[in-house]
Amino acid sequence: MRTKLIVGLCVLACLTLAWNIRTIFLHVPDEANQGAIFRILYFHVPSAMTSFTGFFVAMGFSLMYLVKKDLRYDSIAASITEVSLAFATITLVTGSIWGRIIWGVWWAWDARLTSYFICILIYSGYLMLRRAVDEPNQRARFSTVLSVLGCVDITIVWKSIEWFRTQHPGPVLSVRNGGGMAPGMEAPVYINLIPLLMLSLALILIRMRQEDLRHEVDSLRRYAHSF
Amino acid sequence: MNFLRNSLAITYKDLRSEIRGKDTINASLSFSLVILLLFSFAFDPDSDEVREISGGLLWLVFAFASSLILSRSFARELINDCLDALISSPISPAELFFGKAIANFVLLLVVELVCLPVFGIFYNVQWARQFPVLLLVVMLGTWGMTVIGTLFSAMTVNLRLREIMLPTLVYPFIIPVLLGAVQLSKVLIGGEPVGADNQVWFRLLVAFDVVFTLLAVAFADTVLVG
Amino acid sequence: MERNFLYLCYGLIAAWLIIFIYVVSLALRERSLRQELDRVKKLVEDSEHEARR
Repeated sequence: MRTKLIVGLCVLACLTLAWNIRTIFLHVPDEANQGAIFRILYFHVPSAMTSFTGFFVAMGFSLMYLVKKDLRYDSIAASITEVSLAFATITLVTGSIWGRIIWGVWWAWDARLTSYFICILIYSGYLMLRRAVDEPNQRARFSTVLSVLGCVDITIVWKSIEWFRTQHPGPVLSVRNGGGMAPGMEAPVYINLIPLLMLSLALILIRMRQEDLRHEVDSLRRYAHSF
Repeated sequence: MNFLRNSLAITYKDLRSEIRGKDTINASLSFSLVILLLFSFAFDPDSDEVREISGGLLWLVFAFASSLILSRSFARELINDCLDALISSPISPAELFFGKAIANFVLLLVVELVCLPVFGIFYNVQWARQFPVLLLVVMLGTWGMTVIGTLFSAMTVNLRLREIMLPTLVYPFIIPVLLGAVQLSKVLIGGEPVGADNQVWFRLLVAFDVVFTLLAVAFADTVLVG
Repeated sequence: MERNFLYLCYGLIAAWLIIFIYVVSLALRERSLRQELDRVKKLVEDSEHEARR
């Protein structure tokens, strides 16, 4: 059942992406100042949204573990965090390539970029901590703490555009009261979010299957040693 | 009041133990002096550039010095199962954590207050022109580092890769507080008061300290007990 | 403008490469987990067999 869901999500994501790419390249005009490189934002921004959503949802599942003490919630949280980290890396790389053309540099140490890089470091630390702790319940507790503290840092990232002067573009999307994009150009950002969310969900389901396998291996090993 | 009294009992225990042994504070001081020396090779200490990067230099020294103090914080309790005894004691995990955080704060503050004049001498910087505000910034920044570091010290105390995991986890989290402290220190060491432009860094420091103190105290039980 | 388009291609390739690398790492991890599961299942069978004797 899960395999069918994964395959279905991947096929749907691919079809939607193909349609979006067609729209982005054939129907959306070049941006007046940026030219063709502007289109990278149709992947950069949805990747950022996917990763942010993932980190917060993972925090929710981690907190559910604390309440219910069910390790399945921890497995889900870890899976979501890992996939969100992959999307965060995509955000940083695509943003860096965009910055190379627009700002002339691969990297700038402004508040938004720095804070985003910090997020990646924090969640890399999260995954390293999980590998360093053998006992499942202790691992789940520590992961919960790290997840919550990490999300507080993400809030600093999110607000940094408004708090500090920054080289990163200010809010342009209408949901952030920016109003800096022409109507026809903003819609593909949200439309492209859908296939990326579907793809991330498929990857999360695959990752969760591996967590289940890991638990099965651990419990069989304990059973074998009990003889 | 009980919470504060119990926490201070832990603080007093840690500080008294440190005053007797002086091993952590000596190591931390020596390490800070070595870093100050190493930085002098990275650039010309007599140049005007030093004033521009003074804030960053200072807080890098403080951040590295803190790693020694924080890693010892809970590790010292592993001998003779003292940590288990403390957790089993009537003192709550939150009080244990808060007491240790205050102790670490005091130790780190002592190291920093010794480093400041040394820094001024080595790099020919007049650091005391705005001393009261600089002291406030140092205290706010130090508390931010301490509260995060103490929580992660508790988390990593029983891990086999403790020495690697603690800095890996702590440094990304304390970057916002380092940012704010560096910006404010740069201005204050330059002799200027904190203007309206830089008020946001003060707000960041205070917000960081308040939020992460509350979160750390709330999660102390989860980390130490379960 | 041509340079812009080239960098746009680099960006899209980079994004999909990261996803591809992640999927490959997931596949490799699953394979090693399944191999470990088979090993442990065999270990359980051998232990049960020993216990019955």
